[in-house]
Amino acid sequence: MIDIIQIIIESPFLQRALLAAILIAIIAAASGTFLVFRGLSFMASGVAHAALGGTALGIFLQDSGLVPWFDPILGALLFSVLVAAFTGYAGESGITQKMEVAVGVSFALSMSFAVFLMYYIPPYKVPLIWGYLIGDILLLNDLDIFMLGSTTLLLAVITLMFNKEFVYVSVDMEGSTAHGMNARAYHYLMLIVSALAIALATKAVGAILVYAIMVAPAAASNELVKSVRGVIFAVFLIALVAELVGIAASFVVFVSPSAIAGILAALSYILALQIKRVRDRVDVDIDDPDLSPDDLKETWNHAVTHEHEDGHEH
Amino acid sequence: MTATATPLIEAHDLAVRYPNGALALHHVSFEIKSPSFMAIIGPNGSGKSTLVKTALGLIKPSRGTIKVMGYDSQKKSGKIRKQVRYVPQRDRIDLTVPMKVKDIVLMGRLLKKLPPRFATSKDIAAAKDALQQVNMEDLWERPFPELSGGQRQRVLVARALASEGSILVLDEPLSGTDVESQNLIVNALRRYHKENDVSIIMITHDLNPIHTLVEDVLLLKNTVIGIGEPCSIMDPELIKKVYGPTAKVVEHSGHRYCMTHDSGLDRHD
Ligand SMILES: Nc1ncnc2c1ncn2[C@@H]1O[C@H](COP(=O)(O)OP(=O)(O)OP(=O)(O)O)[C@@H](O)[C@H]1O
Ligand SMILES: [Mg+2]
Repeated sequence: MIDIIQIIIESPFLQRALLAAILIAIIAAASGTFLVFRGLSFMASGVAHAALGGTALGIFLQDSGLVPWFDPILGALLFSVLVAAFTGYAGESGITQKMEVAVGVSFALSMSFAVFLMYYIPPYKVPLIWGYLIGDILLLNDLDIFMLGSTTLLLAVITLMFNKEFVYVSVDMEGSTAHGMNARAYHYLMLIVSALAIALATKAVGAILVYAIMVAPAAASNELVKSVRGVIFAVFLIALVAELVGIAASFVVFVSPSAIAGILAALSYILALQIKRVRDRVDVDIDDPDLSPDDLKETWNHAVTHEHEDGHEH
Repeated sequence: MTATATPLIEAHDLAVRYPNGALALHHVSFEIKSPSFMAIIGPNGSGKSTLVKTALGLIKPSRGTIKVMGYDSQKKSGKIRKQVRYVPQRDRIDLTVPMKVKDIVLMGRLLKKLPPRFATSKDIAAAKDALQQVNMEDLWERPFPELSGGQRQRVLVARALASEGSILVLDEPLSGTDVESQNLIVNALRRYHKENDVSIIMITHDLNPIHTLVEDVLLLKNTVIGIGEPCSIMDPELIKKVYGPTAKVVEHSGHRYCMTHDSGLDRHD
């Protein structure tokens, strides 16, 4: 234990990585959860790739001298907000399928745009664009952490303030509007703030990890946990553990921390599905009196009350 | 009610066209006095939901106007929504969010507040009372997505009952419910309509369960086909026009029965 603390104190890059892991777990808990509630898990990936197109645009504008002050990160943020706004516009009526299509279209558009611009960017700068997809949590600098931290803070504050509104928009947009809530505004707010956070997280740790961490833990928790708050908390834990194990593993064996974290996050979803299946099977057995003879019933019921502490009643 | 009182709903030459070109409503003009227990009937796709959503300002009319309690649906939708509690068609409720029954019922009240929308003990009491009215108080902590269709429908009605506002709008609250659920819901609405000064606008395919309650019926098929008391709407020609030649109104020993595929047998004295 002392050794670990010693190592952390002596290596700033590790401190930054741990901090980033926490920040990204918060982003996953705040955005990932609500995206999965809205059936929009695909948007995390769409935004990450749109950010790539934006980065390409930034590099092009800077390099060609057209707009020298245009930092590539501005392009990434701009594009991800555009995707969020476009997706929001398509889904104003609350229909998820339309939003999925909008995400798909903007995904394709921004990737095409990125590839288009690559022909006009000096070849030695092209890897910068691809670097955006891979990313490495162990290579963050202070500015990365600062930007990631401030967006996470913004996202966390907004989600704490408006989590009921975001839930209501996801559950029943029409009904919420009819009762006098400005559902449209919250709908856009949620998508845009999520997009900003996802874009910056992508810059920090890469699109692949963001996608895995943003979606899988939320989907896993949503299978098993039966309250909104519980899901948010479970997502934070799963995401954090996956990332920490990833970082730790990269010290022991030669392996990318993002890859391990991504694999663990994905496994959490598969595990959740499996647990859910086993649980449902037990429920069915119990419901049917023919399947458990009287003398066994007592034991069965006993076992079940222990297994279902979240308030299953039968 | 005097003729000068503000009508519950009035439409003038209303037309609604969806962006895909579908003309859902055209030449709709009518007036319903307030307070009322009003039913909107008509076959699938006849524009019932569209009419209600337009009245609440959720859809913009492409022509004409519709007013609720004198407020224009577009210019004064905020005023309308303050008074309205709305139960959407059940399939509009998303089941991926892990809401408990209590969360859904409280939603009706919290939506009328400003953020952060904390539930007070008064809100909780009102929510419990509403659930009791539809006989669901034991399911307070149950996950909403795990309920049966009929139970979910009852919870949604409870959400409206728990909320505040003088107009209850229900889009097919009886669809997919058994007789017991229907009776519970209808009795809750009956009590509510009587005890409070509340108007009820209900879309339904089946007038039977609410036959004795309804004061005004609006018969729609993309435009107003008939309007009036339940019995006058049960005119054989009118019903045939809307539901096709298989619909029958039969007279038997002094009672009038209406038979359609939708509503089954409906007795009209
Ligand atoms: N979002 C939409 N986009 C395009 N067309 C729509 C939309 N909603 C409804 N319509 C069309 O408008 C017409 C009226 O639909 P509406 O939902 O109002 O009917 P309804 O009377 O409520 O039917 P049901 O009994 O099935 O609920 C239909 O022809 C339908 O196809
Ligand atoms: Mg309808």
